[in-house]
Amino acid sequence: MNVQEIRPILSALLRNRTGAVLVALQVAIALAVLVNAVYVVKQRVDKIGRPTGIDVENIFVVTSAGFGAGYDHSATVRDDLAWLRGLPGVRAAALSSGVPLSGGGSSNTVYKTPEVKGEGTPVNYFLVDEQGVDALGTRLVAGRAFRADEILPEDPTYHEPMPSMIVTRALARALFGTDDAVGKVGYDGLGRPITVIGVIDHMQGSWVDWDKLDYVGLLPRRAFGPRATYLVRTAPGQRDALMKLAEGHLSASNPKRMIQHVRALDYYRDRSYRSDRNMAIFLVVVTVLLACVTALGIFALATFNVSVRTRQIGTRRAVGARRADVVRYFMVENWLITTAGVLLGAALALAVGYSLSRAYQLPRLDLYYLVGGVVALWALGQAAAWQPARRAARISPAVATRTV
Amino acid sequence: MLAMRHISKVFRTDLIETHALRDFSLEVAEGEFVAVTGPSGSGKTTFLNVAGLLEGFDSGTYLLDGVDTSGLADDARSRLRNEKIGFIFQSFNLIPDLDIFDNVDVPLRYRRMKAAERRERIASALDLVGLASRAHHLPSQLSGGQQQRVAIARAIAGDPKFLLADEPTGNLDSLMARQVMDLLEQINEMGTTIVLVTHDPELARRAQRNVQIVDGQVSDFRPYEPHARPAPMAAAATA
Ligand SMILES: Nc1ncnc2c1ncn2[C@@H]1O[C@H](COP(=O)(O)OP(=O)(O)O)[C@@H](O)[C@H]1O
Ligand SMILES: [Mg+2]
Repeated sequence: MNVQEIRPILSALLRNRTGAVLVALQVAIALAVLVNAVYVVKQRVDKIGRPTGIDVENIFVVTSAGFGAGYDHSATVRDDLAWLRGLPGVRAAALSSGVPLSGGGSSNTVYKTPEVKGEGTPVNYFLVDEQGVDALGTRLVAGRAFRADEILPEDPTYHEPMPSMIVTRALARALFGTDDAVGKVGYDGLGRPITVIGVIDHMQGSWVDWDKLDYVGLLPRRAFGPRATYLVRTAPGQRDALMKLAEGHLSASNPKRMIQHVRALDYYRDRSYRSDRNMAIFLVVVTVLLACVTALGIFALATFNVSVRTRQIGTRRAVGARRADVVRYFMVENWLITTAGVLLGAALALAVGYSLSRAYQLPRLDLYYLVGGVVALWALGQAAAWQPARRAARISPAVATRTV
Repeated sequence: MLAMRHISKVFRTDLIETHALRDFSLEVAEGEFVAVTGPSGSGKTTFLNVAGLLEGFDSGTYLLDGVDTSGLADDARSRLRNEKIGFIFQSFNLIPDLDIFDNVDVPLRYRRMKAAERRERIASALDLVGLASRAHHLPSQLSGGQQQRVAIARAIAGDPKFLLADEPTGNLDSLMARQVMDLLEQINEMGTTIVLVTHDPELARRAQRNVQIVDGQVSDFRPYEPHARPAPMAAAATA
């Protein structure tokens, strides 16, 4: 294809441009929406797909609530954990103050100096027992996990000091500027020291929309009652069976409490990402619909052009156009229309991308997406024009002499 | 030259079969100017379409400039149309969205001719038909006679051996018709073979030879006689 070949097609198009302008506008809007939608979808998908650092697929969560007079929380927790840990297929079971990825949890501020000056570092903390690290399936990269003898008793006042802590690498870096944090000391709001005894590679905390999602600390203390939350990690493939078993046993084992939920950890994760996923699905649907409508518009214009030009096409054939020349004519014409739309659409896409990034603090639109969108719309346009172009090529040269 | 022997052409629709040409034989020698007349529906256009390779035929043989046209592939037929044949239509068939220059350019582009040569040929073709000054007008800005002259320029710009014209003056008043006829004679004198289908006995008489088609067959050869009385064609034309 060269400029020479394009000129008469373009000048004929410009003399008869109403339909072409409308379709080009449609292409422009499609490009602007498509590129930004795909970009947002990509971000949502990336967000949902971030590594959690947790063995999400093999963990389930049991929540138990004691009630009534004579409920003995410590004994209940002791019996429950003993039973859970004794189940074949259970790797670890721990009492925890919260469920990671669930949208609910606790945080506090840790400072670098005992003077408790400056900003402090927010820490999303979980009170766990000696099986906490194991029950989460996190990977310890330095130091050690908690021993049973250092787990502190329940503290409903939230006021007792915390002598030791296990931190994520991300938190270690934030607090101490290094991953190599074992033995380093941070300070609570009252200036009391907390010594790091272990570092885990990575773990996401409670709130998936928080930008410091991996500022997680594990603290050695029994969560207080009368509610208890157990994190149970199973061998691969056994989670669902063990959940049923646990629900059956625990519901009946103690009349003074109620088992509220036995749920897979991915239930909580999926619930937290529901709006992200819905947004992604919505945008994909919108994008696909828009692409279909655009293809339909292009197809309709090409079909219309072929039918109003039947005689012209016959004449072109009569004076020597091959079938391929006719196909080519319509493909080039379509390409010109799509290109006009795509140029306008690229400007529009950048403008939309810019304002979206301003309004929602999103990263600026990646230009690869624009290039991809342009190529996609070119291909869409050519595909949509193909059938009408083929139909045009089948028009007989004899229509030139047959009076219509 | 153009030689058709025992050509038959049948149009089949769901309801009827029309034998548009039956055992049709005709030769046109190089440089001839042949006028074809005949009643409406007798097969004149069909003959011209077959001659111009716009449509095929069912049996018989057709040699165009020595080339046996039966069994030619579609692309080869396009190429022959482009190189050897100029077509002139009753309703001009100019492309409304292209200016005069670009209209004349259409067949030349299909010949993959260089831009400079195309420009030259378009200029001289438009010159010949007296419309050089209208090169950048649109067809709709010209009169019918002028449009038909543009169509003639388009037909001859590629320097074809044959010019096939299907009632080229049918949509023109008699003054314009005569101008078009003058032009065709001039082109014939330069060596182009012309086959002209017309209803107009006066125009037909200006050709070297008249052929009458009745009911899909050549009914009557009459060599051109300058002062012959009008043949009983007027009656045939209204039949
Ligand atoms: N495409 C077609 N389909 C069916 N019948 C046709 C077609 N073209 C022409 N005919 C028929 O063939 C006969 C000859 O038509 P045509 O060659 O156009 O005659 P003329 O040009 O002499 O008026 C007519 O009866 C016409 O109706
Ligand atoms: Mg006719």
